[in-house]
Amino acid sequence: MKSSKVFFIGGSQTDFERNWTKEGKNEIAILREVVEDGLRCSKISFDDISDLNKRNRVAIFVGNFIGELYVRQGHLGGLLTEVHSAFYGVPSARYEAACASSSVALDAAITKIRSGDYDLAIVIGWELMKTVDSKTGGDYLGYAALREKEAEGIEFPFPKLFGKLASELLKRSPLNKELFLQDLAHISNKNYQNAKRNRNSQTRKWFMSEEHASDRGSKTNPFVGELLSVTDCSQVTDGAAMVVLASERFVEGSFPNENFPFVKGWGHRVAPMSFEKKMDESRSSKYVLPWTRQAIIDAYGRAKLSFEDMNVFETHDCFTSSEYAALSAFGFCIPGEEHRVLEEGLVEFKGAKPINPSGGLIGCGHPVGGTGTRMFLDVAKQVAGIAEGYQVRNCDNGIMLNIGGSATSNYVFIIGR
Amino acid sequence: MKIKTVTILGANGTMGSNVSGIFASFGNAKVYMVSRIIEDSFEAKKKAALSVRSEAIQRNLIPKGYEDLSECINESDLIFESVSEDFSVKEKIIQKIKGCLQTEPLIATGSSGLSIQKLSSLLPERLKSRFMGIHFYNPPYNLPACEVIPSEYTDDQVLEATKNYLSGVLFRKVIQVKDSPAFLGNRIGFFFINKAMIFAEKYKAEGGTDYIDAILGPFSGRSMPPLVTSNFVGLDVHKAIVDNVFLNSHDPAIKSFKFPAYGDELIASGCLGRKSGGGLYKTITLENGKKEIHVYDIKDMKYRKRRKYFFPFSEKIVSLLKEGRYSDAIHGMINSDSPEAKICLEFLLEYICYSIYYSVELTGDYHASDDVMATGFNWIPPLALIDAMGGKDLFLDVLNNVQEVDQDLKECFVQLWSNIPSSKFDYRPFLKALN
Repeated sequence: MKSSKVFFIGGSQTDFERNWTKEGKNEIAILREVVEDGLRCSKISFDDISDLNKRNRVAIFVGNFIGELYVRQGHLGGLLTEVHSAFYGVPSARYEAACASSSVALDAAITKIRSGDYDLAIVIGWELMKTVDSKTGGDYLGYAALREKEAEGIEFPFPKLFGKLASELLKRSPLNKELFLQDLAHISNKNYQNAKRNRNSQTRKWFMSEEHASDRGSKTNPFVGELLSVTDCSQVTDGAAMVVLASERFVEGSFPNENFPFVKGWGHRVAPMSFEKKMDESRSSKYVLPWTRQAIIDAYGRAKLSFEDMNVFETHDCFTSSEYAALSAFGFCIPGEEHRVLEEGLVEFKGAKPINPSGGLIGCGHPVGGTGTRMFLDVAKQVAGIAEGYQVRNCDNGIMLNIGGSATSNYVFIIGR
Repeated sequence: MKIKTVTILGANGTMGSNVSGIFASFGNAKVYMVSRIIEDSFEAKKKAALSVRSEAIQRNLIPKGYEDLSECINESDLIFESVSEDFSVKEKIIQKIKGCLQTEPLIATGSSGLSIQKLSSLLPERLKSRFMGIHFYNPPYNLPACEVIPSEYTDDQVLEATKNYLSGVLFRKVIQVKDSPAFLGNRIGFFFINKAMIFAEKYKAEGGTDYIDAILGPFSGRSMPPLVTSNFVGLDVHKAIVDNVFLNSHDPAIKSFKFPAYGDELIASGCLGRKSGGGLYKTITLENGKKEIHVYDIKDMKYRKRRKYFFPFSEKIVSLLKEGRYSDAIHGMINSDSPEAKICLEFLLEYICYSIYYSVELTGDYHASDDVMATGFNWIPPLALIDAMGGKDLFLDVLNNVQEVDQDLKECFVQLWSNIPSSKFDYRPFLKALN
């Protein structure tokens, strides 16, 4: 093998506004749509898949958190054979790390292509979450925490955990509570406004303003965990995203004239599972989430790039507090100076280093097992210049941070050209 | 165009309060909500905030009565009337505005189909150029369609600036439409709904209303069956829309706008729909507290329990759509010999022909009917339905093989066929795997 480059050749995202239960459709329908769209966009046919499979050069990697509960279906690698007979015999398996599930699938796919085992990898992340009411869904998401201690018998455990993160950030911040909460409202509003440019985002028709995001505790914006309200929180989303990755050999043979983005760096670190232990461990660190920071440093190091080289950021804003913590982790500032970054407008859509031009998890949506591939797809689209209404300018390199649990699993990918 | 202050007249009505919410939220405008009884304006203020899911916008909403009208309108950049859909009521309101207006703001009527030209003629010359129809769909927070209807006096620059404001600031899907009865969305929608009502009578022996609704269920590209929709908006509103088209237009499908006599009888007996406790359908509360839906049986002229019909063609379509097999589902219907599948197909083909014909007729744009039906009715857009059938060549084959489709309509459509584009909409979300 001449090179270890892993190229992004295309992908797709379902419209995150859709409620598949209300449409009466099941997991096979969402998989069929995302696969058909993703292959069409990548200019790969089902016949191509069959041909590659004869030589054992193609594989499928599925990211999903907890389909066993949401749709009562397991064995999600094998399930792809229900979508098309071209997948009969294709190696396919499911990967899981809570909300970072499809990043693990990406990691496996990238590794298998880099090692030369396969030429083409289809990576699909998905979750159908609207099959149950919000309370039941909140309980299912509790499986991503240290269940017995952090979720058992607790309604909506994750808003409470990220509410604790907000409180810890406030404790370490020079800002008073009012100014700190204003910053969080600003992050929420930014992501909602960004989502309006994205035709696949869940909230593109919703109203949001900084005033509404600051109106915490009202009937239309109730508290969900400590300082945080509904507007600080990402959505319950049905959705799937797919990316098609290819080896350099495959690209040279099939797309010799294309200048596809490729994976430049990655980072994967796991922090203590319990939030309490995370905070205990981080007391000796400047960073509230030191392993998140470390995963980003690892990725910069592997890519031989730095924060300055990054033109666009997709971060895991499951709550406004997680995007706030990511600012220093990415290197925008030292911890405690996040408010300055926000004041300067650097991270706005038209700023020099936009964060979440897609709308992020708050604006675009958060189908938990699908979020990693959605973020990867969005960064790759920005680098390829095909992000349509939310395309940022001059984008050579982009970075994504996908976290699982209360920032337990931390996955980072850098994509560039 | 800067719209800082808006006056809504008739703010206590459903549309009045919902539209107030849109201007106050997305537009961040100060909105004077004017009703005949000021207490109603206070109630409407709460509803307006809830309609956009934000109590924070209440600071932009100011309840007023008509005694404050002069003060409100002379401070406003836009005056939007949303009083009853009755020409004489709107005439009185426009006279009232005219009587106390000293400035030259934008003036709009929220009419869903009255003549904009006729309403415009009530205004003095200096205001005619600043008047137009702005027709929101209900509820506007969920349905962003917005028809803009200029009169022949409307100034082009004012019109363009208004359209830009509606799309850029209020995030509306703007469709500019010629001044014509029912405009575009209601013209198409009620063509379909009234034809369903006519067919309910034609097939009254088979069950009538619920039989036709079962044939045109969500699997055919709409969230709500057509006669449930009529029951939802009310037979009085339904009749006013189709009568307006029937009496005031030349239409290749004019007979589909003839309101059936049994509808007149229901209206005469006060059975309008959901708002009056019953119309084509009504909900009965049983002794055990459970609710049951009943339907007006046209043959027996009395209500009976709604039936659960079993049609093999729709069962098959639903099972295919459940797994996302759209092409198989559509072709299952096209190739079915069952009478119900044939009725369903006839409706869908006529819907496509009528929509695209009127889209071009009233807007000059093939995509306008897609825009208004997708974002105003939440129905599968006609061009998208052609795509779902496999594209325009295959669609024409199907059309030519179905004799039941109105010949005049077919001829009008076929003249446009060569220019028909693909849709900008994805047909898949509209085809529900539900009976």
